[in-house]
Amino acid sequence: MARITAGVATSHVPLLGVAVDQGKTGDAYFKPIFDGYEWTKRWEAEQKPDVIVLVYNDHASAFDMKIIPTFAIGCGERYKPADEGWGPRPVPEVIGHPDLAWHIAQSLILDDFDMTIINEMDVDHGLTVPLSMMFGTPAAWPVKIIPIAVNVVTYPVPSGNRCWLLGEAIRRAVQSFPEDLNVQVWGTGGMSHQLQGPRAGLINAEWDNSFLDGMIGESDALRNIPHIEYLRETGSEGIEMVMWLIMRGALGRKTRCLHRHYHVPCSNTAIGHLVLEPAE
Amino acid sequence: MNAPPAGGHSDIHEYLEEFEDIPGTRVYTAARARKGYHLNQFAMSLMKPENRKRWKENERAYLDEWPMTEEQKQAVLARDYNRLLDLGGNIYFLAKVFSTDGLSFVQAVSTMTGMGVEEYQAMMNAGGRSPNGVRSIKGKR
Repeated sequence: MARITAGVATSHVPLLGVAVDQGKTGDAYFKPIFDGYEWTKRWEAEQKPDVIVLVYNDHASAFDMKIIPTFAIGCGERYKPADEGWGPRPVPEVIGHPDLAWHIAQSLILDDFDMTIINEMDVDHGLTVPLSMMFGTPAAWPVKIIPIAVNVVTYPVPSGNRCWLLGEAIRRAVQSFPEDLNVQVWGTGGMSHQLQGPRAGLINAEWDNSFLDGMIGESDALRNIPHIEYLRETGSEGIEMVMWLIMRGALGRKTRCLHRHYHVPCSNTAIGHLVLEPAE
Repeated sequence: MNAPPAGGHSDIHEYLEEFEDIPGTRVYTAARARKGYHLNQFAMSLMKPENRKRWKENERAYLDEWPMTEEQKQAVLARDYNRLLDLGGNIYFLAKVFSTDGLSFVQAVSTMTGMGVEEYQAMMNAGGRSPNGVRSIKGKR
């Protein structure tokens, strides 16, 4: 049977993609950020996951204001890197896993999650930057990807609790897939950042670190954080952290921390990164 | 009576009202999304190279192809991003405008803060803007 072996959380700042694509990861500004991913690169190379369920948000790339799905799952064969206004990132195509994706989509719908199904789309930095952080610059990504796109732009976005419950449902769905697959769930975005208005540039390292603490162990307190708290404490774009809770929900009752990294700043954003495994 | 959902809200009015209590922040609510629909879709159109070319040739003529308000068009021409947020713009859509201008997120975002880009970047490098005093207008915290 397929099994969820680990969860990874990471910020997905577009500037990180620029640093990778332009060979600047060793520069003084970027080095402390990328150093925090070295452990994970080695670990991923050993783990060799078959599939990653990659939770991210689209930043007005594949979706515009015409259609706003709250939760969408990519069931396609492949996804091209999006042209976000300065040409697509020079990274490999993202290869899907339609068999498992459709199995998860069907299971989630039966489990009361009314998913939007995506067969074709381009994927933006929200999805490709985490791949670059974990796998570097290979000729082809060494893993298949099932994108889960979450609306965290137009309010109301889904609650933290709903995200956690979706994660639990993804776990049940994966565990009922008959093929023996090593599956990871990644939650991306965050941590504190605000990209708009006179309050732009807000960073809250204390709050971010207590959120990182809360992802580890058996507490489920994070699922009850209301949107207003993310907005006040972590800036208007810190709300992306609800996507980490889908990953956390998918890991079961208790987690163990394998790796943790936090750095301020990258562009306007606090970088956070965790590697967790189910602890039961 | 049913309890409200964990972490959620049972009352959309209370939920939305709280958003107006955050200093210097425009939460992208449904009301703003409706007001800014054509503004954001215009910005989205700049994802295509052929549209960027026409836009650069004549910004005003390009804007006039969209059913936007005159106020929105003037704010786009002036690159007044705070005004555009008030008029329903969303930052990820507005990013298509400043990317076309060749500006990074840091450069464009700094223009909304009243700081120069060097000053803003120095603040970020020193750990960013503290949340102290900018969490709540009413609560003054």
